[in-house]
Amino acid sequence: MTDDRSQTQGEPGPERPDGTAGTAIDTTVPHSARIWNYWLGGKDNYAVDRQAGDQYKDIFPGIAVVAQTSRAFLTRAVRYLAGQAGIRQFLDIGTGLPTADNTHQVAQRVAPESRIVYVDNDPLVLAHARALLTSAPEGSTEYLAADIRNPAAILDAAAGLLDFTQPIALMLMGIMGHFTDEEAYPIVSRLLAGLPSGSYFALYDGADTNEAFNEAQRGYNDSGAVPYHLRSPEQFARFFEGLELVEPGVVPVPHWRPDPDAPAVEIYSYCGVGRKP
Amino acid sequence: MSTVERDGGPAADALGPTVPRLLLGIQLHRFREAAGVSPEQAGYEIRASRSKISRMENGRVRFKERDVTDLLTLYGVTDAKTRAGLVALVRQANSPGWWSKYGDIMADWFEAYLGLEMAASVIRTFELQFVHGLFQTEDYARAVTLLGHTTASAAEIDRRVNMRLKRQDLLTGPEPPQVWSVIDEGALRRPVGGTAVMQAQLKRLIEVAQRRHVTVQVVPFSRGGHAAAGGSFTVLRFGEPEVPDVVYIEQLTSALYLDKREDVDHYMEVMNHLSTEALTPAQSMRFLADLSRET
Repeated sequence: MTDDRSQTQGEPGPERPDGTAGTAIDTTVPHSARIWNYWLGGKDNYAVDRQAGDQYKDIFPGIAVVAQTSRAFLTRAVRYLAGQAGIRQFLDIGTGLPTADNTHQVAQRVAPESRIVYVDNDPLVLAHARALLTSAPEGSTEYLAADIRNPAAILDAAAGLLDFTQPIALMLMGIMGHFTDEEAYPIVSRLLAGLPSGSYFALYDGADTNEAFNEAQRGYNDSGAVPYHLRSPEQFARFFEGLELVEPGVVPVPHWRPDPDAPAVEIYSYCGVGRKP
Repeated sequence: MSTVERDGGPAADALGPTVPRLLLGIQLHRFREAAGVSPEQAGYEIRASRSKISRMENGRVRFKERDVTDLLTLYGVTDAKTRAGLVALVRQANSPGWWSKYGDIMADWFEAYLGLEMAASVIRTFELQFVHGLFQTEDYARAVTLLGHTTASAAEIDRRVNMRLKRQDLLTGPEPPQVWSVIDEGALRRPVGGTAVMQAQLKRLIEVAQRRHVTVQVVPFSRGGHAAAGGSFTVLRFGEPEVPDVVYIEQLTSALYLDKREDVDHYMEVMNHLSTEALTPAQSMRFLADLSRET
């Protein structure tokens, strides 16, 4: 299991003084955002990514369904946030390569005035986001080159783009697996601490509840891609401590407010949406 | 790889329309599967064999317009726009027919490209010498055309210019593709058609780049490594997941289509390098505004 979102290693990546995003595209090692793109049936991947993706599939053939189902959670979560929860501002950290339903498209379908800040530290992802994740005229999309290891910098920069007196939805979709518990929980608490009351937090990541999945993940972590750690359902629940969990709570992704016609699948990713009181 | 030669000889006949045939075949296959129609049934409908259907779906035959429309009806494809798109592809796929008819060869391979461009969902371009055809003003387009056709009659120049401008209808259609254009600073500084023409062209570029589905990124001289390493090229992406990206390279007397995965990967890698090397879209707008004040 990896994420459709980009790698989050390395130094914080602000734009260079001349405004370019840097050129660190390496096509000799597999890249998590491009592997995920491959599993989702996208075309933005290279041979090295397809090879890593296929090796994973050999051990755990269900990974493409995991990728699609996890991505579908993003769609349902954003639809819920923009719809029932009435959220109009989204801070989407770990954007990943564009796919069919990106955050701003889902949100702006419900509320065209929605404002989205996409955050990533990968130059390839940022270049795609700036070109292809463009807003409806009523709303806005902005792009931040930043590293989630520095939550204060993200909040500072986002403060210039979003209205921090109004609720904001923080989205960490398939990205926290790149961090150990020691790193991950403080990052999330610091980000949430900076958001106003009434804000929301949405997350999904891979869970360690299936042995074949765990084995495939170990192989993946040896491939040269940025390692990704699976968590137990209890560990997922910890991310939401202090928040009011939206029904049905922290559950496998297919069980979170499924669409009526959704096929029944067993998926070893967990997700949840919580509201900051 | 397909090469379309200027003289319209065997290479053009054999390979020119590969991409439209492929696109057509893939889509016919998809519609047939969706309709749950067997190859035998489909063959019966058009008085042909099962293997003929299979050859069609693999893009290995010459298509007849009536066969395609009959099949679409059988598959329950009634949407007028979809049908018209496929019929347009049939005409492109059979384009060697035009070539002998017209003999104005260069325009024909370009028109074949235009059909592909119209079918694309994302068009990524790298321009080293000229502002991209989709963004050209009439005067700029005329100047570029004159450069390439010094002996052409006024009427022919007009026809070519009109074709370039007609192409821009794509940007104002109901569902325009995303056009993501990376342009080298050299193309912006070269005063094609003279300073006044270039000035107006820069203004046009600034206007066009503000549209939601258009992105312009400038590669400044200060970071031109990749830009210097190759020539202009275009990558077309199609909405259908099963249709591969196509790289299009225009040469002086021919055009090159690449759709093999290794080739496409290589060009896409270069395009991605260029996109990350270039100024961001916001920076590029400021760059263009500054440049337009300078000239």
